[in-house]
Amino acid sequence: MDLQTRTENNAIVITISGRLDTVTAPEYEKKILELIEGGNNRFVVDFEQLDFISSAGLRVLLLMAKLLKEKNGQVRLVNVKGNVYSVFEMSGFTTLFKMENSIAAALATLI
Amino acid sequence: MIRIEHLSKKFGDLVVLKDITTEITKGEVVSIIGPSGTGKSTLLRCLNLLEQPSGGNIYIDGVDILDKKTDAASIRQKMNMVFQSFNLFSHLSVIENLILAPVKLKGMNKQDAQTKALELLRLVGLAEKANNYPDELSGGQQQRVAIARCLAMEPEIILFDEPTSALDPTMVREVLSVIRRLAKEGMTMAIVTHEMDFARDVSNRVLYMDEGIIYEEGSPEQIFDDPQKEKTRTFIQRIRCYTCRISSPDYDLYAMNAEIEAFCEKQILSKKSQHNLLLLVEELLQLYRPYLKTMALDITIAYSEKTERLELICESAGQKGNPLDSQDLSDDLGLMIIRNLTESISYQWLNGKNRLQLLIKTNLT
Ligand SMILES: Nc1ncnc2c1ncn2[C@@H]1O[C@H](COP(=O)(O)OP(=O)(O)OP(=O)(O)O)[C@@H](O)[C@H]1O
Ligand SMILES: [Mg+2]
Repeated sequence: MDLQTRTENNAIVITISGRLDTVTAPEYEKKILELIEGGNNRFVVDFEQLDFISSAGLRVLLLMAKLLKEKNGQVRLVNVKGNVYSVFEMSGFTTLFKMENSIAAALATLI
Repeated sequence: MIRIEHLSKKFGDLVVLKDITTEITKGEVVSIIGPSGTGKSTLLRCLNLLEQPSGGNIYIDGVDILDKKTDAASIRQKMNMVFQSFNLFSHLSVIENLILAPVKLKGMNKQDAQTKALELLRLVGLAEKANNYPDELSGGQQQRVAIARCLAMEPEIILFDEPTSALDPTMVREVLSVIRRLAKEGMTMAIVTHEMDFARDVSNRVLYMDEGIIYEEGSPEQIFDDPQKEKTRTFIQRIRCYTCRISSPDYDLYAMNAEIEAFCEKQILSKKSQHNLLLLVEELLQLYRPYLKTMALDITIAYSEKTERLELICESAGQKGNPLDSQDLSDDLGLMIIRNLTESISYQWLNGKNRLQLLIKTNLT
């Protein structure tokens, strides 16, 4: 897994590539916690390059959503497709998260 | 054409062949399969008189080849052998390799032997390499030359001992296709091989060797799809399955993934099925994780080409109980994924083991 962040329109855009699984989820979780504790509360996570997600990855997304809710924050997911989208469907995540087709579209929906 | 009666072979105290009786008729292609060390090579070497059998009889067209009066060289001409390691003469060019024996042993004139050799090289697709030396050829090409050299002696039957097992996977196909062509042309052949798909579609009959005997024999369908005896069944299953044992919570997920991917590629499963299998295994391992400190988990993945069923079996000793019913799960995300990936799930307590059997959906879009 590779994770990159940048700031755009007062939001953190996270680009995640490779696999979000049992092995890599802890690393992702750590990074997210740091960002949220650092005071960031507007996120766009881009899945364009993500090939694989398992429940371990889903759990971190849930945790992220929960923490942000407590802080009146928001998160949008972008480019959820292919195998990753199938896993979202299996676990009912398609209705839990707001998803957009592009980073620009996602940023536009963040208030 | 060849009749083998009560053939036995001992090396000192080691009984390798106990009692082999079978017959190979003209035009038949017989594959010989079985675990390592069960005497498959020894059987071929006895037929070819590279080993002296300890007992029994071998007849070729009614002639007893173990009779002292029978000339071994002439037997080897009738029944030529192709080895795993090509055994070409490295100091001779390809064409010289092909004409040596016909000229020396059969007294063929050089011109005729040369014409014939070129014809055979064309047959195996290597006419343009006639003047190259063996070490200038790839493994697959060398083995095709070895087959052509064998054919140059105009044998009545060819014995192959694992003709592709010394080759890179990329070269296996070219050698097998030459053997397939010979089969189509009616060549009589006995082939020891680990290439099961090849054995299935090239042979008329399959011999499964174990315990020093022909343990079970039958048509490829009988042996591969419906073996009757326990050991045959285990052998066939093992080669059609992926199995692994996980005995620590610190298992190497990625090493396992790589092995499962290799299995999927071998079974020609779709990318989607491969993804689903990897996901299923990861989710199951997560559920089993708390137990892995104290007991081992055996995972078996089996794919049946015929029924297109993909099955996964988890077996674990320890306390009786279905891990999917555990009350200690923090959420049911893993379970939801597992249920979505499978057609059916059954749990059994069998022979002191927890056995979880999952039938995987293969028509997921
Ligand atoms: N010349 C020999 N002297 C002593 N033992 C031998 C000799 N040749 C073979 N053996 C033994 O005979 C047994 C059968 O060997 P063989 O090579 O025929 O098995 P195989 O079925 O061809 O196995 P593999 O699939 O590994 O090629 C083995 O235990 C081997 O060690
Ligand atoms: Mg052998």
